Amino acid sequence: MTRVTPHPQARPLGRIVAALPFVGPWLVGFLALVVYPFAATLYWSFCRYDLLSPPRPVGTANYERLADELLSGGRFGQAVWNTAYYALLSVPLSIALGVSLAVILSWKVRGQAVFRTLIFLPSVVPTVAAAVVWTWLLDPKNGLVNKALSIVGLPGGGWFTSVRESLNPADWSATLTAWQAGNQALLPFGSKDGLVLMSLWGVGNFMIIYLAALGNVPKQLYEAAEIDGAGPLRRFRHITLPMLSPVIFFNLVMGIIQAVQAFTQVYIVSEGQGGPAGSTLVLSLHLFRSAFRELDMGYASAMAWTLFVLVLAVTAVLFRTSRHWVHHQGAAR
Amino acid sequence: MNVRRLQIAPLLVLGIALAVVVAWEDRDPAQVVPPDRREVVFWHFWGGRDRAVVEDIVARFNASQDEHFVRAIAMPGNNLDLKFFLSVAGGDPPDLLNQDDPIVADWALRGVLMPIDELASEAEQEELRRELFPAARKLGEYDGRLYALCNGLDVRVLYYNKTLLDAHGLAPPTTWDNLNRINAVISPPDEWNPTRPIGYLPDPRRLWAWGIVFGGRFYDEADGRVTANQPPIARALDWMRSFSEQYGADRVSAFRTGDQSLTGASSPLLQGRYAVVMDGQWRVREIMAAAEAARREGEAVTQYGVTPLPAPPGGKENAGWVNGNLFVVPRAANNPEGAWAFMKFWCGLAGHEAEAARACVAGGWIPPTRRVTQHPVFQRYLNDNPLFETFVDLAESENQVPRPVVPGAALFDQELVGAAERAMYRDDAPPSQELLDGVTRRVQQRIEELADEPR
Repeated sequence: MTRVTPHPQARPLGRIVAALPFVGPWLVGFLALVVYPFAATLYWSFCRYDLLSPPRPVGTANYERLADELLSGGRFGQAVWNTAYYALLSVPLSIALGVSLAVILSWKVRGQAVFRTLIFLPSVVPTVAAAVVWTWLLDPKNGLVNKALSIVGLPGGGWFTSVRESLNPADWSATLTAWQAGNQALLPFGSKDGLVLMSLWGVGNFMIIYLAALGNVPKQLYEAAEIDGAGPLRRFRHITLPMLSPVIFFNLVMGIIQAVQAFTQVYIVSEGQGGPAGSTLVLSLHLFRSAFRELDMGYASAMAWTLFVLVLAVTAVLFRTSRHWVHHQGAAR
Repeated sequence: MNVRRLQIAPLLVLGIALAVVVAWEDRDPAQVVPPDRREVVFWHFWGGRDRAVVEDIVARFNASQDEHFVRAIAMPGNNLDLKFFLSVAGGDPPDLLNQDDPIVADWALRGVLMPIDELASEAEQEELRRELFPAARKLGEYDGRLYALCNGLDVRVLYYNKTLLDAHGLAPPTTWDNLNRINAVISPPDEWNPTRPIGYLPDPRRLWAWGIVFGGRFYDEADGRVTANQPPIARALDWMRSFSEQYGADRVSAFRTGDQSLTGASSPLLQGRYAVVMDGQWRVREIMAAAEAARREGEAVTQYGVTPLPAPPGGKENAGWVNGNLFVVPRAANNPEGAWAFMKFWCGLAGHEAEAARACVAGGWIPPTRRVTQHPVFQRYLNDNPLFETFVDLAESENQVPRPVVPGAALFDQELVGAAERAMYRDDAPPSQELLDGVTRRVQQRIEELADEPR
């Protein structure tokens, strides 16, 4: 009887040794560029550290400072509010716009490919170039957006020069009061609203995912609904939306992460200052300024970890609630 | 497939070789360090027209030397302080840096900079004490030692459109009352709209200037205390926010868009959008150029004038905020002696007045020392550019004050300007005194934290 000896590389250890040269470069990069900074910033978040002198442990002082600034409306509190405002407006709007555009672009019409390309095109423009273009478009004096609004008789917004917030009822009432008194006043569209508008311009990235998902919706569902007498709106509400819900969920999570990490466009429109009056000081910019302008690496690291935990918590909540509204084809509910 | 690979390989080699040859041929001969000289790696932030002036200074210095050779590297000014700091942290800084960020104290505190007294001889230190303008000294001094050498001051004055003021029968804003009368006549708040010129609109960043003019001090060096909440500074902020209250915060901020562009035809004064603006000496050459262009075209020449910031009752005369361009030498520099030789050449020390005067005339800069301003070359320039004289006079004033040279200066600036922006652009902003109390508390806390850190 012949006994077959397994090839040495078939043994687990041998296989690992054989694989190491292949995964090694990635592993080194992962350890040096991801794991080490991750661990180091956790340590630094409990230290005072300015890059030159060795880190000096200060306990939870940095986290206490963050809590204090959050409660007293200090710069961290302001940054949290600015980021939340941006995420709360830009993410739902980009989902609504992305889904609507995807549905429209799935209609079989002449020039469908051209329209799809046109909608997707802004997504390939580098963020810096797009931000510069938008500062011009939203210029309160000479920008195209305010010019267009003036054609329909509206006064336009102050955009990147204004601290107003379109979600703030007090800003609307101030505008209305001014108008009633016969004074000229701009619409309460401020710097953060400008950033939201800019984010919607790049909605093509999300749209393309919805478009792909739409192609996977079984035709027979629509046919059955049509036979049952469902109109276009009911078909959209009861077939398209549920079938798209896994993709919407994915885009929601990614959108929130992207919104919380927004940096480049904010840096460009505010020239790195987060102005006017701190109205565009989002968390990433505040983190950058604290770390590299004020050389306060400990505080910045504490902020980075708070940001990480925050995003993790929001994502966990979304995953928990997703079972109530995300439909998976063929999955038992 | 193998055949194709074989064809690509020689092509790649050829391409790389070609690129190397082109790069070699393209080397700027002005940047090649002669074998018998010691290199001085010099980072600076000068661009546009000024860059040619800087390159000329470097070329003249290199021609005058048989020991050192300056290799100038123009860096984008944005975040230059960060790039420099990272180069220090990484252990490979340049030998010399020229920039204008308020970072001297932060770097000196951390031991990044070489004090000037370690570079200069006794006689040279004595010359610095005697010749440097007060503002130039204050800009580079931390904890009683000079860490940075100013090579040019940026002084702010009020520029006024004389033609426009004359048309309205208004006097120049040389006094507090004159300044405050201009808005009421040229742009009455209840009639004004953003398509019309406005008299004067304060910029939130210039609380640093008006705070001093109103008689305040942002920092008490003797006590080491932040004093940004002094009543005169609160009064200055009240006065600045009164413009927004009269014209509407949103309209004011929208009207100001684009005003911060530093140079060029977009200068709000030359566009006729303002009767009065606060600005630095670099506008003089724009005004002269605009006048020259108008004369060439046969058009009427708009007349402009300059005046020191007028003081309110109880305020300070010839006062304001001054900034400057500063040389710093990192402690880890390879050739600090070469860096110091170049600094002396540019700043007009140790017998180099003529070189400095020539550079200041070419760049339209305000020299850091009295002796350079008195040099015949610079005096001739003053005769040809009478507007410039006010700047030079102000450079001598003790009331021209830079931002406090303290650790945490970036935070101080952000907090103070942020408070001014809130006061001017937010209807629901707290009273000025309360805003400034907050600034004072937070900045003081940060300064104490930094001072408390072991080095």
